[in-house]
Amino acid sequence: MSSSINTACKIHSAWRGSTFLLGLLCFTAMAFAQDVTLHPPSAAIAGQAAAIGTEGSGSATFYLIGPSSSMKRNVHLGREITLNAGELRQSGRYVAVVCNGRCTSAVFYVSPAKPASMIFLVHPSRAPVSQSDLISGVAIPFDEFKNLVLTPATVQFQLTAKGESPAPRGVETRDGIAWFRANSGKSAGALQVQASIKDVIARRVVQQVASDPCSLRIKGQRTSNGILIETEPVRDCSGNPVPDGTIVTFTAKNGNETSTVDAPVKQDVARARMAAKGPVVISAASGVVMGNELHLGAQE
Amino acid sequence: MQSVFQNGFRGRMQRALAISALLMCLVPCGFSAPADSAPDVILNATHVGPRRIEPLTERSVLRDYKFGWANLAQAFQSNSAGALNGLFAGTAITWLTDAVQSQIRAGLTSRYLNQHHKLDAVFYAPEGDLIELHDTAEYDYQILEGSKTIHTEHAFVHYVVLMTPGADRWVIRQLQSVPQF
Repeated sequence: MSSSINTACKIHSAWRGSTFLLGLLCFTAMAFAQDVTLHPPSAAIAGQAAAIGTEGSGSATFYLIGPSSSMKRNVHLGREITLNAGELRQSGRYVAVVCNGRCTSAVFYVSPAKPASMIFLVHPSRAPVSQSDLISGVAIPFDEFKNLVLTPATVQFQLTAKGESPAPRGVETRDGIAWFRANSGKSAGALQVQASIKDVIARRVVQQVASDPCSLRIKGQRTSNGILIETEPVRDCSGNPVPDGTIVTFTAKNGNETSTVDAPVKQDVARARMAAKGPVVISAASGVVMGNELHLGAQE
Repeated sequence: MQSVFQNGFRGRMQRALAISALLMCLVPCGFSAPADSAPDVILNATHVGPRRIEPLTERSVLRDYKFGWANLAQAFQSNSAGALNGLFAGTAITWLTDAVQSQIRAGLTSRYLNQHHKLDAVFYAPEGDLIELHDTAEYDYQILEGSKTIHTEHAFVHYVVLMTPGADRWVIRQLQSVPQF
């Protein structure tokens, strides 16, 4: 029994001893550690050198943890810690930590620099003419270090079609983004779309193409092999020739018999040859547009 | 008899020590459990424009942003940039990979614990190919050198986020912290 009590006492005294030692160590460490105050930069800009003021004396270890970098180096307290331009390239939140026995930290932000490039998204790449709100563009300015520039800036959008005067418009960025929506022009061809902030320019091209055919007129004649039918030049409602490959469907009715041929437009005109001996009524259609009817008598 | 009593006392002592050791293990384990818990993310898309976000898109953005932060936390805790692949692209993955690599060089690791993210969708492009989010994030942030914690804080951080659609997910292209929106 007494042996057990002795064992317990030994454990207890050992515990007290270690607590005392631990306390002594902590006290010693705290005595050597100094209070350090950090003065981080209040308006740092990406890619520009800055400095962190320190108070205290002696040497310490300095850490800087930023959006894309962490670094560690020895510094002398009481002197400014210089941060070179390369260490502050990324915009965002930085944590500066100084340790000399005890660690002290401070947080500061680095703002983006001025716009140096731009992401410019334009849709669609091919646009039928005379469509309202069909073309859209989104411009996002970045500085030279790929930081999104969030300070409001005016983006000049300019749409220029062949034979038409440019239509500029200024849009201020909101949350780093400026955008527009516009009607497509009246004539087919390349539409130059440009976004600019001062000397930063981004250009895109939208190919404006004819819309659906507006009307169809056909003509035809009998030949030794059957009937040769062709359209007049097929155009949209703005007078633009429809693209090659637009399908025109010709239908020939002879009593109860009906035959159909699809023909692509080639150089503005669609042509087809149909075999029919009796009197026929021929019609044509493309998309939602119907052409005139053509009545041809029986083959002699 | 004395021997039996001593053995019983030793046994109880051993059990007590074992229980204490177990408790000592469990207490920090309990505190570190949130490190493995998924980030808590909510998304408000009521004020977005010029295009409305479809419900399916909203769910995808929320899911992928949440996975993105879980992977980010894992990458920074384990100093493994590979965890960033898949949900980050463009500038975001370049910056984060550089951050992990420089962490390794400096002998640091960092932890993002107990993450809560309140997302506001502020811009959704007319053609649906870009979304901008504002994230008001709250987490316990720790920086460690080896096993020594050199910085710890309960951080409130604002992030401007750009996401674009990929083949089967939304990827984070820009993750930029700002002092305020």
